[in-house]
Amino acid sequence: MAVSTEALATPVKPRALGWARIPAVVRYIVVAAVLVVVWHLYAVHKGPLVMATPWQSVQAVRDGWQDGSLGHATWTTLRLLFQGIGIGIVVAAVLVAFATLSRFGEDVLVFLTAILNPLPGVAVLPLAMLIFGLNETAIRFVLANATIWPLAIAVTTGFKTANQTLVAVGRNIGLSRVRIITDILAPAALPYAVAGLKTAWAFGWRTIIAAELVFGVAGAKGGLGNYINDARLNLLPPRMFAALLMIAVLGVVFETLFGLLERRTVIRWGMKTS
Amino acid sequence: MPGRREIIRRVREGATGIAAPAAAGTGSALVRVDHVQLGYWVGNRFHVAVGNASFDVQPREKMIVIGPSGCGKSTLLKAIAGFISPVGGTISVSGRRTLEPGPDRAVVFQEFDQLLPWRTVLDNVAYPLRVNGRSRRAAAATAREFLELTHLGRAAERFPHQLSGGMKQRVAIARALALDPTVLLMDEPFGSLDAITRQRLQVELNRIVAQTNVTLMFVTHSIEEALVLGDRVVVLGNAPSTVLELVDVRELGGPETVEYSQMRGRLRSLLAVDQEEEVENLGGVD
Repeated sequence: MAVSTEALATPVKPRALGWARIPAVVRYIVVAAVLVVVWHLYAVHKGPLVMATPWQSVQAVRDGWQDGSLGHATWTTLRLLFQGIGIGIVVAAVLVAFATLSRFGEDVLVFLTAILNPLPGVAVLPLAMLIFGLNETAIRFVLANATIWPLAIAVTTGFKTANQTLVAVGRNIGLSRVRIITDILAPAALPYAVAGLKTAWAFGWRTIIAAELVFGVAGAKGGLGNYINDARLNLLPPRMFAALLMIAVLGVVFETLFGLLERRTVIRWGMKTS
Repeated sequence: MPGRREIIRRVREGATGIAAPAAAGTGSALVRVDHVQLGYWVGNRFHVAVGNASFDVQPREKMIVIGPSGCGKSTLLKAIAGFISPVGGTISVSGRRTLEPGPDRAVVFQEFDQLLPWRTVLDNVAYPLRVNGRSRRAAAATAREFLELTHLGRAAERFPHQLSGGMKQRVAIARALALDPTVLLMDEPFGSLDAITRQRLQVELNRIVAQTNVTLMFVTHSIEEALVLGDRVVVLGNAPSTVLELVDVRELGGPETVEYSQMRGRLRSLLAVDQEEEVENLGGVD
């Protein structure tokens, strides 16, 4: 039987005093209220051509959804992001499998990762624009490049640190080399893969917004980056803040989804403590 | 400096001089270990663990391999399992000599983390059966049967991290037995358990082995464990080890009998005497 952890898990910490005794919900509401007030005061101080007040921003979100422009921009960005990261996942998986099965593949991966991982994603955008033209393919390319390397590093580390007893068990029950990768190493590396996916996702977000800003300058239309850039050009700060709010909300939503994924897999299996 | 191949050649030649007890030449042997020499690389140095070992395991026999640490008893089991190949001599199982790892020689390891953490207890037992061609349904049914045999029926839906060490080892035993192995290989499976759980599992293993008629090869460094579980005991000496003695312990009475304590004394002195010689025998082969 597993030892009951409840008694042990109760943290030993000094009794809360003052602020810490207030319930968490109330504390966060107070913090949010303070931030909104500061934001409002600063916006009023700067004037409507530079800053939007919180209320104007919320209204801009509502208007943007009603006329479809914000929804369209959000969908465009997310679609590109999913496509780019999807390509990145597939390429990273192929590279890691290749590296696991052959020494040559391992050398190729080590070499490419060393060169390309430190490179900020947007840095290759001008090159991608020259190769693919001013289109979505260029953005997908940049996104894939931004996600392949952190993913490949994470999964390779996961494979390298995988429990060798499990690999021995895999061979003992008669698994082929390919099935040892898919059935033993891949799930064993899942905690690393999820961490890598989080990093890839964060890199992807930064990269696509930056790429769209550059594209906005270059004339192409579409995503949240363009939305922000257009709002700047048209001196419409509320629309700019509307897009920023969308990005923040999506960030929180996906952080939650990753948390759920972890709870359903690696935490449920005792491979990672929450 | 000689290359690795050259080092192995020298090790092999050196072995011919060592006198070894001849293998019992009965035709019915299931596992035949014949003048086997085994070692492993430590950096660029080849450490000879088993110098020259020969013995047979008969069908349905419970063979215990015992010896001081570093004598190569686990290495020997790994070689039978097919994870490493001998430098010299031959190992054959059911007459087959080229051994790749396979479910006919299912292994129970010492480590608790030998279960797949992402599969339930039931699936840990059923999955190897599906790998070996059973249908999902047949695999689950067989898995349940062996979980009942090891008294784990109620833990079937749990994940390994929710089990105690003793339960994990019982799942590993169920998994290995469900594969219906020619010989069940166990590498100090109770070595990391507390004394009470260990004794309980020894009794339980005896019952399970009796019920399934499986042939067992069991590595341990505990004399008591060898006497409780074994039909015969192979005593290995210090590295590079040879078979010091091959004793039959199946007619032995319980721990309270004179024969038992005599045998225990004999094994103790075999292992202890050998430890004193350790000082002279530290050398490997460069």
